[in-house]
Amino acid sequence: MSHAVEIDHLVYRVKKAFSLEDLSLKVPTGSIYGFLGPNGSGKTTTIRLVLGLLRPASGSITVLGHAIPVDAPAALRRIGYVPEAPHLDPTMSVTEAIWFHSRFYPTWDGAWAERLLRDFELDPKRLFGKLSKGQKGKLMILLALAQRPELLVLDEPTDGLDPVVRRDMLSAVLEYVSQHSATVFISSHLIHELERICDWVGVMDNGRLVADVEMERFKTGMKRLKVSHGPSNTTALPFRVLTRTPVGNNGSEMWLVRDWAPEMAPSVAAAGGEIEQIIDLDLEEGFVELLRSFRVPKSTEVAGV
Amino acid sequence: MFRAILYQQWKWTRLIVALGTLAAFTIPIFSLSGSGGDLDHKAAARFLGHIQSWGIFYPTLAGTLGVLVAIGLWAPDHRGRHVYSLALPVPRWRYVLLRYVAGLTLLAAPVAALVLGAVVASAVSSLPVGLHAYPIGLAFRFALALLVAYTLFFAVSSGTARTAATILVTIAALVVVQILLSAAGSSVNILMPIANALLTAPGPFAIFTGRWMLIDV
Repeated sequence: MSHAVEIDHLVYRVKKAFSLEDLSLKVPTGSIYGFLGPNGSGKTTTIRLVLGLLRPASGSITVLGHAIPVDAPAALRRIGYVPEAPHLDPTMSVTEAIWFHSRFYPTWDGAWAERLLRDFELDPKRLFGKLSKGQKGKLMILLALAQRPELLVLDEPTDGLDPVVRRDMLSAVLEYVSQHSATVFISSHLIHELERICDWVGVMDNGRLVADVEMERFKTGMKRLKVSHGPSNTTALPFRVLTRTPVGNNGSEMWLVRDWAPEMAPSVAAAGGEIEQIIDLDLEEGFVELLRSFRVPKSTEVAGV
Repeated sequence: MFRAILYQQWKWTRLIVALGTLAAFTIPIFSLSGSGGDLDHKAAARFLGHIQSWGIFYPTLAGTLGVLVAIGLWAPDHRGRHVYSLALPVPRWRYVLLRYVAGLTLLAAPVAALVLGAVVASAVSSLPVGLHAYPIGLAFRFALALLVAYTLFFAVSSGTARTAATILVTIAALVVVQILLSAAGSSVNILMPIANALLTAPGPFAIFTGRWMLIDV
């Protein structure tokens, strides 16, 4: 499998305030990779490192075959980037902003930019500084898509936007991806939104990547198991037990597990336990529980992580 | 690409450049208004004094224009915290060079206006015998002063707010140290050598000092 983005043992530090430590991540070519994490977990920093806007202390980053940050300009020619906050010149009109942006991209598709301009119902004469948040977001998506990128890097592109605008923007992205087989690397707080569109997911927490799996595997593999007479050592089990919490007084426990598959149920019985109940988690629950398990103090019982 | 940068810079600095261009054209004309033909020795000296009094406007205009245009050039990038510009597919050195050259292009207008104003003023004025007009020399000096002010503040303005703060704090610290030294009765003057180094040749600001004369002997 080829990868549009490869991050290998990346270290980045901002004095003592924040750091990415030994981050390794691969975004498969052609995938829609959802990059999840709470505020301050390092999503935007990782994205800026991927684009060459920041320089790592150590480790390597390769984007579309280009070493970053050394070869960042060549990579950026093939990347459409929508930043967390729109940073265009507020004194430029929509038409001027589009013209300005197009001058930097040899692959610019003017016809498609025109079509998106109509579809998004943007006033060409309106100044960027006078646009609403949703209109700014649409313009940023337009700019990123009309340069015909091979990789779209979207940093919380729909954050704070109403559902209609979000739908319009994501529809345009999905249409582009379906037509051009582009790779999308999208960070968002809106987990349900990513659940619908992503086929791969990475979860960041406090500068660490705590999950990097296919979306389907993440969704089906995160479960709560109510287990009675569970073994004290779970490391031999074929799935990972993230947390275990006593339930009632009969020795039952609630396990939060990862990488679960139904055919693994006999392994619990083989270890002397009995599964009383299997509880499904949706992506949001799985995400929250996963983060919670990584934040459990070391003294709390956590096995197999 | 250059056109795009130039256009953006024009939007941000057009008022400054337009006013500067107008001033550069009119200062030489006003400075020579009412100049007479045959003047005696004393009147000619008074006329030169009048020309010299107008001379202060040239370095002031050059310095002000250079500083304001340099600051105006980076304003859109500072507002966007450089994220948009850094994400453009252009090497950073080339992007800085594009901005620098675009600013110089805009500053060509006031220089050209000064040449034109000085030439027109010199041509329509009847100069006293023994005095000569130096419109091209004055414009050349104006262009050099503009280049120095623009380049210096372009470099400072291209940095982060922290860079600018570091420079300001350094200057303030020097002034405070000098005040403390003076209060303590010390004869040591740390500012004077710095001022001399900057303001006398070959210091970078030497171009701003001395007489700026459109008409001279």
